[in-house]
Amino acid sequence: MKVVLFYSPGCSECVAAQARLRAAAEEAVRGIEWREVSAVEELDYAVELGVLSLPSIVIDGELVFTSMPSVQQLRDALLERCGGRG
Amino acid sequence: MEYTPGFRVSLEVDVLTIGKLASLTDVSNDTLRYYEHEGLLEPAAKSPAGYRLYDDASARRIHFIKHAQQCGFTLAQIRELLVLRSRETTCCGDVRKRAIEKKLQIESKIKAMKAMSKALDQLIAECANESQPVKECAIIAALERANTRARVQKR
Repeated sequence: MKVVLFYSPGCSECVAAQARLRAAAEEAVRGIEWREVSAVEELDYAVELGVLSLPSIVIDGELVFTSMPSVQQLRDALLERCGGRG
Repeated sequence: MEYTPGFRVSLEVDVLTIGKLASLTDVSNDTLRYYEHEGLLEPAAKSPAGYRLYDDASARRIHFIKHAQQCGFTLAQIRELLVLRSRETTCCGDVRKRAIEKKLQIESKIKAMKAMSKALDQLIAECANESQPVKECAIIAALERANTRARVQKR
């Protein structure tokens, strides 16, 4: 499973939450591929995935969160997509 | 922000009526009233007779609004920017985030427009014979096919 978190550089909200979300994702799904991408550096990629607001989270190519989710919301979304397999 | 020579002169003026502010900032009186209605602009004071009075800060605010509009921000988004601008705890990153989001939205629209343009290219190319009767027009037929497909997919 691949997760891409698009963020705005200098966003204090993102920096504080990214590490927490990443740890929760890695704990929820074994072998998860987690990327944090600056929307400025990879603007075309963000547009291609339909990202219009920041932060946004794309799971396996699907735009799932258009604002920062809670750890629980992210965990639920990940588990739902991998059929509850940890 | 660039100021016109006329605007430089206005900085020496303390009080502006709505008409003066409108002519200095090149917007109409109605627009200024609309900005007030939308929470973007407040008169600095009211005259004893109840007329709206503005100051230099009002003129700077109008220029800010106009410039932001030129960059594609909606009035609701400009209101947000104005709130950020006046908040002491705001950092540049907060404003930059909104600028990046606006850029994403614009690029997304460009992408959609390019797709539409490409679809039109295809239709134009399909209509090779301009003298054909409209019943045999490839463009009309293609649009009708698309309409049918959409109805089938909805079911």
